[in-house]
Amino acid sequence: MSRRVHQVGFFAAVILIVLVIVGARYQEIDLPLLRSLQGHNRIDPLSLHLSGEFVEGNLGVKQDADGSLTLRILAQQYLFIPHCVVLPAGVPVHLRITSADAVHVLAVTGTDYKVTAVPGAVSEASMEFTRPGEYDMPCHEFCGAGHYAMRSRLVVVPRDQFPMTEAEEGGRCAAR
Amino acid sequence: MPRVDLPGKKFRWRFLAAIAASLFAALAANALLQQIQASQPSHIPSNISWTDQTLKTVSAGNALRGLLLAKRCEHCHGAEGFSQSPVTPNLAAMDKFAIWKQMEDFRDRKRSSLVMQPIAASLNGRDYADLAVYYSMFPAYPDPQDDRSFPQKLPESAEITTAARLIKSGDGLRGIPPCQACHGPVAYRMGAPSLTMQNSDYIFAQLQAFAAGTRANDVNMPMRTIAGLLTADERRALAGYYGSGSALLPGQADGSQPR
Repeated sequence: MSRRVHQVGFFAAVILIVLVIVGARYQEIDLPLLRSLQGHNRIDPLSLHLSGEFVEGNLGVKQDADGSLTLRILAQQYLFIPHCVVLPAGVPVHLRITSADAVHVLAVTGTDYKVTAVPGAVSEASMEFTRPGEYDMPCHEFCGAGHYAMRSRLVVVPRDQFPMTEAEEGGRCAAR
Repeated sequence: MPRVDLPGKKFRWRFLAAIAASLFAALAANALLQQIQASQPSHIPSNISWTDQTLKTVSAGNALRGLLLAKRCEHCHGAEGFSQSPVTPNLAAMDKFAIWKQMEDFRDRKRSSLVMQPIAASLNGRDYADLAVYYSMFPAYPDPQDDRSFPQKLPESAEITTAARLIKSGDGLRGIPPCQACHGPVAYRMGAPSLTMQNSDYIFAQLQAFAAGTRANDVNMPMRTIAGLLTADERRALAGYYGSGSALLPGQADGSQPR
């Protein structure tokens, strides 16, 4: 009887020690599965160009498997990449944005959308534009010496015009 | 004392097997996710990222060793970092991180040059750091007694106006940031070269290459974007302005360091 109790106590102690170690090192654990389960959006701002979802070819508009649109924007001193984005009107778009250096804010003039881009994290927003037209997307957070010239454009086109010409692949404006 | 009912031996085995199976499944899913995230086919502009380790590696460069290695570079880049031809870049007082990154990119074939790729391939990462530190220690001002191409002829006054506006304030309406916010002397971006003493023909060739996409080693593509937004006339005006030494600060003319 008492041997059993001792065994249980031993296992409890081992589990406790493991929990303490894991708890103390919790910030250093970086498993993609854990991240997606927790809804974490951590990302290394220094190596965005090497791997992950913000590599060059992924920026802009991408159609996901279920047909929804994801817009990925990389903010940096003093540009938003891509510099000009084409989106269809009346279609919900999922925005994912991160920063490579300072804190930037992507603001779409004439609408309520204002999304903060923080280095080290991915910010998300659901957007939908009902009115076709051209919108300015300036940076609304002071980010450095060239902040006042940090500005990109958004072109919203009618839905039937959206699957664009080949030059506008990935939601980038052609010849702009 | 009440009897503790522990599960039977058979049941415990099943329980353990279930735990092991779920652990295995979780690890497999994790590996799969990692693979999915890693397997995105795309252009990688440069293998460099400015981590602490990178900064330490570059800063550990030995200037004396760089001096000996630089005997090979003198023929084109000049004995004091100022080249005789305006097509070849000046290296005097250049940021050490900028020089080091370009050498790494030449070796990794991220930036193409028939001259520099074989040279970079014959040196190693430590040599790059030594050379970068050596050239970054030169005085900023060109000595007119030497045979140097810098500064070049001042461009026309219309070009000066265009270039000065773009360098100092950029073009907010078109979303072109001012050059001096990253290339000095107002502020520097990590790895961006100082342009105040760069040759005009070299700057023009690089802007054209960025705009055409034939040079694509800028991390997060700022220069490909900006050069693409500039017109060819603006690129020429900017190159001429920098090449004539007009962007030098007043205090810099007596040989003081830009940083």
